[in-house]
Amino acid sequence: MGFDSNEPEQRRRLLAALESAGISTGTLWLRYFSIGGSVGEYEVEAYLQGMLSLPELERDLLAMAANELSSRGAGPRAPYADELPVDETPAQENPGLPDDGPASP
Amino acid sequence: MTKKHLPLDELSGAIGRILGLLLTEEKVDHAVQSLSQAIKDSVPGAIGAGVSIFDPQGRATSTGSTDGIVEESDQLQYELGQGPCLTAWASEEPVLVEDAHTESRWPEWTAAVVALPVRSVVSAPLIASGHSIGAIKVYASRPSVFDSGTVSLMELFASPAATLLSHIQSSETPQRISEGLQTALYGRDLVNRACGVLMERHKITHEEALQRLLLQSRNTGTALQQVSEELIAGIPADRQ
Repeated sequence: MGFDSNEPEQRRRLLAALESAGISTGTLWLRYFSIGGSVGEYEVEAYLQGMLSLPELERDLLAMAANELSSRGAGPRAPYADELPVDETPAQENPGLPDDGPASP
Repeated sequence: MTKKHLPLDELSGAIGRILGLLLTEEKVDHAVQSLSQAIKDSVPGAIGAGVSIFDPQGRATSTGSTDGIVEESDQLQYELGQGPCLTAWASEEPVLVEDAHTESRWPEWTAAVVALPVRSVVSAPLIASGHSIGAIKVYASRPSVFDSGTVSLMELFASPAATLLSHIQSSETPQRISEGLQTALYGRDLVNRACGVLMERHKITHEEALQRLLLQSRNTGTALQQVSEELIAGIPADRQ
């Protein structure tokens, strides 16, 4: 079992959104639970730490929970899985690189 | 008591709280207060009585006392980390102090209470299910007011009191959970009912139904619970 190719990116940006809005894991989990999320708080904690892979639906529910909680803030949004570019190469821990390479002729 | 983070514990605590089965902190405070008064009234010669519940680190989480002298004497024990109640709690044995002025077991505490009318003390541990959760104590202003009979009486008080008080969750977990839990359960119920409607309507799985609600919420900029509520209310929000 591995991670979906865009899972690390989705997780990283969820973390950024949580951090910017000052949302604790407990708060996130309770909101996620209240909109139908089905994994426990400890699994969510493990997911946030990159130690556990979650299905896309659960990841999107977490993103939605974070976005609902931070709706008044100006910080970064947590992206949904289908908003992330499909990336075939293994995920790099180097998010700053722009996708500017010219296509080979 | 060590596995206080089991989700099941949290949930049963929260449910117990919702059903009103667990004592609230307010009720606990009231209970320890009433118990203190009952002890004072029942022990001949007592000028004051008190009840302390400690967490595993020896910090008092709930206290009740009949008067300021008891409160002051207790407070000194917590601050100094020594005294008859802490010993009764930690040793799980009753403590009899004949005269605080000649007592040598807690030098700092006895020095600190020398100005208070606290000479005779009996403290008995509150033991519930094999765990010491606190102590009850009674004070008198003259030496040698209490004896082994007082100790027995205090032990008689301590046993049922400990059982009752142990049903109070000292952990803050149920409180924290239950604050948001009722709302969360209501919201989750809404979402799940909306999923049920969609599952029936479109012959889809629960996951697919939740996925649809999520998309609907994103596309309309409406909160997921709101989308669910409207769907259940029969507003034709799902017409794609």
